[in-house]
Amino acid sequence: MHHAFKLEDQDLNVELSRARDGYRVHIGERVLAVDLRTGADGRAWLTIDGEHHEVVVATRGDDVFVHLDGAAYQLRYRHPLDRLAASLHGAAEDSVRAPMPGSIVAVHVRPGDAVTKGQVLLVMESMKMETTVTAPRDGVIQTVKYEKGQTFDRDALLLSFEPSA
Amino acid sequence: MTVNRQTIDTVRARVPHWPFSSVLVANRGEIAVRVLRTVQALGLKGIVVHHAADRSSPAVRMADAAVEITGATPVAAYLDAAQIIAAAKASGAGAIHPGYGFLSENRAFCEAVEAAGIRFIGPTPAQIDLMGDKVRARNFVEKAGFPVAPSAIEDDDPASFIERARKVGAPLLIKPSAGGGGKGMRIVRDLALLEAEIERARSEGQRYFGDGRLYVERYVENPRHIEVQVLGDGQGSVVHVFERECSVQRRFQKIVEETPSPALDDAKRREICETAAGIARSCTYRNAGTVEFIFGQNGEFYFLEMNTRLQVEHPVTEQITGLDLVLEQLCVAAGEKLPYRQDDIRSRGHSIEFRIYAEDPARGYTPTTGPVLVWQPAQGEGIRMDAGIVQGGEVTANFDPMLAKLIVTGSDRDDAIARADRALRDTVLLGCKTNTAFLRRLIAHPAFVSGDVHTGFLDANPQIAADPPLTQHTRDRLLAVGSLMTRPMRDVADSVPDMHAAMGGWRN
Amino acid sequence: MKRIESRLNTSSAEFQANAAHNRRLAAEFKARQHQARHDRPHRDLERLKSQNKMFVRERIEQLLDPGTPFLELSSLAANEAYGGEVPGAGCVTGIGIVAGREVVINAGDASVKGGAWYPLTVKKTVRALDIAIENRLPVVHLCDSAGGFLPLQAELFADKYYAGRIFRNQCILSKMGVQQVAVVLGHCTAGGAYVPGLSDYNVIVRGTGAIFLAGPPLVKAATGEENTVDELGGCDMHTSVSGTADYPASSEEEAIAIARDIVGQFKRPEKTRIEWQPPEDPYYDASELYGILPQDIKQQFDMHEVIARIVDGSRFHEYQPNYGKTLICGYAHLWGYKVGILANNGVLFNDSALKGAHFIELCNQNRTPIVFLQNITGFMVGREYERRGITKDGAKMIMAVSCSEVPKFTVMCHGSFGAGNYGMSGRAFDSRFLFSWPQSQISVMGAEQAANTLADVKIRQLQRQGKKLGQAEIDAIRDPVLGEFRRKQSAYWSTSEIWDDGILDPVDTRNALGISISAALNTPIGDPRYGIFRM
Repeated sequence: MHHAFKLEDQDLNVELSRARDGYRVHIGERVLAVDLRTGADGRAWLTIDGEHHEVVVATRGDDVFVHLDGAAYQLRYRHPLDRLAASLHGAAEDSVRAPMPGSIVAVHVRPGDAVTKGQVLLVMESMKMETTVTAPRDGVIQTVKYEKGQTFDRDALLLSFEPSA
Repeated sequence: MTVNRQTIDTVRARVPHWPFSSVLVANRGEIAVRVLRTVQALGLKGIVVHHAADRSSPAVRMADAAVEITGATPVAAYLDAAQIIAAAKASGAGAIHPGYGFLSENRAFCEAVEAAGIRFIGPTPAQIDLMGDKVRARNFVEKAGFPVAPSAIEDDDPASFIERARKVGAPLLIKPSAGGGGKGMRIVRDLALLEAEIERARSEGQRYFGDGRLYVERYVENPRHIEVQVLGDGQGSVVHVFERECSVQRRFQKIVEETPSPALDDAKRREICETAAGIARSCTYRNAGTVEFIFGQNGEFYFLEMNTRLQVEHPVTEQITGLDLVLEQLCVAAGEKLPYRQDDIRSRGHSIEFRIYAEDPARGYTPTTGPVLVWQPAQGEGIRMDAGIVQGGEVTANFDPMLAKLIVTGSDRDDAIARADRALRDTVLLGCKTNTAFLRRLIAHPAFVSGDVHTGFLDANPQIAADPPLTQHTRDRLLAVGSLMTRPMRDVADSVPDMHAAMGGWRN
Repeated sequence: MKRIESRLNTSSAEFQANAAHNRRLAAEFKARQHQARHDRPHRDLERLKSQNKMFVRERIEQLLDPGTPFLELSSLAANEAYGGEVPGAGCVTGIGIVAGREVVINAGDASVKGGAWYPLTVKKTVRALDIAIENRLPVVHLCDSAGGFLPLQAELFADKYYAGRIFRNQCILSKMGVQQVAVVLGHCTAGGAYVPGLSDYNVIVRGTGAIFLAGPPLVKAATGEENTVDELGGCDMHTSVSGTADYPASSEEEAIAIARDIVGQFKRPEKTRIEWQPPEDPYYDASELYGILPQDIKQQFDMHEVIARIVDGSRFHEYQPNYGKTLICGYAHLWGYKVGILANNGVLFNDSALKGAHFIELCNQNRTPIVFLQNITGFMVGREYERRGITKDGAKMIMAVSCSEVPKFTVMCHGSFGAGNYGMSGRAFDSRFLFSWPQSQISVMGAEQAANTLADVKIRQLQRQGKKLGQAEIDAIRDPVLGEFRRKQSAYWSTSEIWDDGILDPVDTRNALGISISAALNTPIGDPRYGIFRM
C-alpha cells in the first residue's frame, strides 16, 4: 500500500484501481466499488458499494475537503515518495556535506536549533554563485563546523544533526 | 409580535426627513453586513471602513462606499478612533454605528464622534462610563434597589466582617483579597463552619500571597446566564424586549443563545425583564442595551453587568418579536421617541442562535484558519444566517474566529432544535474547520434538549467537544472521495490498460 | 461470427466424472503452487524478518498497481529438481502492471537458499528476459541473491544459455531501447552486481542493499583490505561516490515506490495494431472445461467445446469446416483481440496438415496472432499415408509454423506426442508463450509404446545371449522404464524443466492468453516470408 491520507491525525492507506465497470478503492483487504460524479459548486454524488451519498467536495493542493453526513472533514494526501522518505531516516541524513568546494556566506542555525526539512541552514558561495544548503530532514542541529567566511572542500562536513530516535 | 411594530416602511413614512443621510459602520464581519442591511433598506447610504485584510469581505462588497484604514495590526486599524472619524468626515457620514466589540463601548470614541458633529448610534458617553466600570455599575444598580450578589469585603470594616459574611448567606465563597487563579478559595455551604473556613482561607491566603485579607460573596452553584434586551430612547421611555439565555459557554464565551429561556416561568420572566427595564430606566438609557444576570438554580438572580451596545446574539430577539433592533437604534439616534409601549411588544415562537466559529472544539477550542473553498449556508423556513465570510475568502488569525451566526426559529423549542440540527447539517464550509459538528452533538445532548444547562456545562461534559471516533463506513466514504479527487491516485488507476483493469487482481 | 453450439451434456455421468477428476487435478496443482510459493523453512523466514526484508511475494504486491493482474511464469520451475528444495527455482518471474505499464518482473527469492542461483534459476531468468526481448517489455529486477550456487557452477556458468546470458539479454534490451530498473534489496555480488549495473535505472536500500564485485571476505582474502559492507558497496557510497546506483532509499517500501515512479517515466510503446473489438465474456462457462477433458490421455474429445469456453462470446468463424476435420482452424476474438486458432481434433492427416499450413499463411497475411490448442498424438503413419506424402505435408506445416511472423501462443491442452508437438508450435518453435494444463503430457511417443519398445530391445538382446525370460523378469525390465517415462512426460516434469511458461488451471487460460497477446503486441509484426515448402 503506497498511497495514504492523513485524516484526523491518522495515516490511512488506500489504493484506487479501475475495474471494467468503474473504480475500486482498496482499504485493507476490502475492495469497494466507487464512483464520484461532481456537479456545480462542489456538490458531488458518491456511490460506494451500491449506496448513494450526496457530498460536497473541494480541494486545495494535497488537501481534500469533504462535507459528508452534515460534517466537514479534511483529508491530506500523502504522496508515497514523501511519506516513505519521511518514515525512516538513515545515517546519511545525519550529516550535511558540501556539494562543492566554496566558502560560507551565512550560517542561519546554531547547535541545538530545531529545524524542519527544507529549512535553509546556511548559504555558501562557490563558482561565483550563492547556493543555499537546506535541512535534509526534521531534527536538531548537533554541530556547525564552519563560520562565515571560512572555506571548505567538496564533501566537507558542514553541519551534523542529532541522530533521530 | 409587536402590535405597533416598526418596520422599514412605517419608519420611512413616519420619518420622511432623516437627520443623516449616510451611516458609517465602524466594524467588520457579519455585524457590518447586518447593520448595512438595515441602513440601506432605509434608503440611507452605507459606508464601511476596512483594513486591507478585509478588502474582499462581504461588508465591503455590499457597502455603498468603503474607506480603507491601516494599522500596525488589522485589529489595531479598527481600534483607531481618529482614523475612523477622519474617514467618516471624509466620506460625509452623518452617523457612526460601532457594531459590537472594537470601539462600541469606548467613551472617548463616543465623545470624539459627537464632538466631530457626527451622531453616535449608541448610548451617551456618561452611560458608557457608568456601565463600563463594573464596581460603579454594581453600586449604581444596588443603590437603585435592584438585586446584586450579596457580598462582604473585610477591608470595609474588619471588625464586623464575620457578621457581615454570615449575612451574605449560604452557600458562599471566601476569596483572598490578593488572590487569583482559584487559590485559597473556599466554598461554605453550612454557616456553622463559616468561622473555621475563614481561618483556613486566611492562613492559605497568607501562605500563597502573604496577605490574609478576605472577601466573601454569595456562591451561585451551576449558574445560568440570562440577559434581557432593553430599548431606551434617551427621552424617558424604556422597554424590555424579553430575555435571552446564554448559558452554553466555552472559555467564558457564549456559543449558543436562545429566547425564551427554558429556565423561566411567566412570573419569573416578568420579574427579571422588569428588573432589567428598571435598571435601564433609572439611567434614562438611550440605545439598545442588554442587562446581564447570573441566575441560580433556585430562581435567584443578580445583576452582572450591562452592555450598552447591540449584542452578538440580538437576532434571536428580532426573530421572536419581529423587531429590527438596528432600525430601533437608528430611530433613537435620529431623536425619535419609542412609538410603542411595553404591552405592545409580544413574542412568538422560539429562536436559537449558534455561533459558527473557526475553531477545533476537540483541541480545546483552538482557532483554525484556512481558505473558504465552499460556503453554502443552510437555507429554508425559520433559518437566518448572518455571515461575515464569502466563498473564495480566507479565514485568518487576524480577527475573532466567529465566522457566522445561524439563527433558527421554530414554533417552540423542540421545533427550533429539530430545525437547527437540519440547518447545521446542511451548512457547508470547506477549507477551514468549524464547530458545526460539535454544535450538533451539543444540541443532541439530553441536558440541552431538556433545557437543563449552566455556564459550566461544557467543562463538566468535555466528551461533547471530543470528536467521536470515525466509523468504518464514514472512513470508507471519505477515503473513496479522497482517492477519486487526488490526481496521482486517479492517474495510476486510469493508466492501467482497459483489459488489465477489467481482469482486476487476477492471479494464476 | 456465429456462436459455437455446445453439444455437451453437463448432467451426463461422464461429464460429472471428468469434472470431479479435473477439479481434483486443479486443486492438486494449486496446492503444489501454494507450497512452492509459501512453504519455507522457519529459519529462512525469520532471517528475512530480522534483516527487515519483505518476502518476495510482498515486494511484488507492493510493486504492482493495485487491482491489476499478475501473470506469474513457471511457478513450479524446479519442482522435480534438486530434491524439491528449490521451489520456483528460487525466483519469481511474471508479467504485471506497474504505473500503468506492462512489465516483466524478475525477482530473486532470498527465502530459498539465500536466493542462490541454481541452473534452473538461471534458465527461468533467461527465459523471462527472452520474453522481455521478444515482446519488448520493460523489466523491473528485484535483486536479492547470494550469487551462483557453487556446487553446481559447471551447469550454470559458462554455456551459451547460462548465467552470462542474463547480462547479455540485459544489454540487448538496452540496445533495443527497452528500459530496465533494478531495485537492490540485498547483496548483488560478482555477476549479480551487473544486474543493477546494466539497468538503465537502479534504486538501492540503505542498510540491506549492497553492490560489489567481491564482498568483504573475498576482498580480505585477495588483498588483505578490510571493509564493512557499507564502505565497500553500500547505498550511500554508490549513490554519492561511485554513481553505480542512482536512487537511495531508506526502506524496501520506499525503494519500491521509487521504482514505481521510475517506471511511470517510461515511454509507452506504440502497440501493433491488429483487429480488435470490445471484449465479451465467453457465452459458455469456463469451469465446464473440467467436464470436457477426459480422464484417459488416449480418449478423444471435441476441441470445439474447449474453444467455446475460451473465446469472446464463444463465437468462432471456422475455416474449411468440412476439410481435414482433425485439425480445427478458424478465427475468434480473445479479450477483444482477433486470433487465429489451430486446435487438434484427432491425428494429423495429409489434408489436416495442408489445411493447417494454409491457415497459418492466412493469419500471417492478415496479421492475426495464432493460438495453438494441442491435443495431438502425431501425424498419421502407415504405407498409404507415406505414399500420399504425409512427411512432406507435415514438413509444410512445420515450415509454416517456424517461419510465422505473427506471434504464436501454445496451450498444451492434453496430449502432445511425436512430431505433432512440432507441427503445433511446441517449445522449440518460439511461441511467445506456452502454457500447460495439469493433466497434459509431452513425449516423443506414448509411454506404454515407448516402454514396450525399450523393453523389447533389452529382451531381444538377452534372448540373443540365450537367456529365456519369464513374465516377471520381463515386467522387471519394463516397469521401471514405464515409470520413468511417465514421470518425464507429465506436465509437472516439463514445467520443472521450463519447457513451458507454467502450468495453468484451465479456467485461467483466457486471462493468461489475454495478457500474453497484449504483451506480444509491443513488437511489430514482420512481413510473411518462408523457406521452401516441399510440394
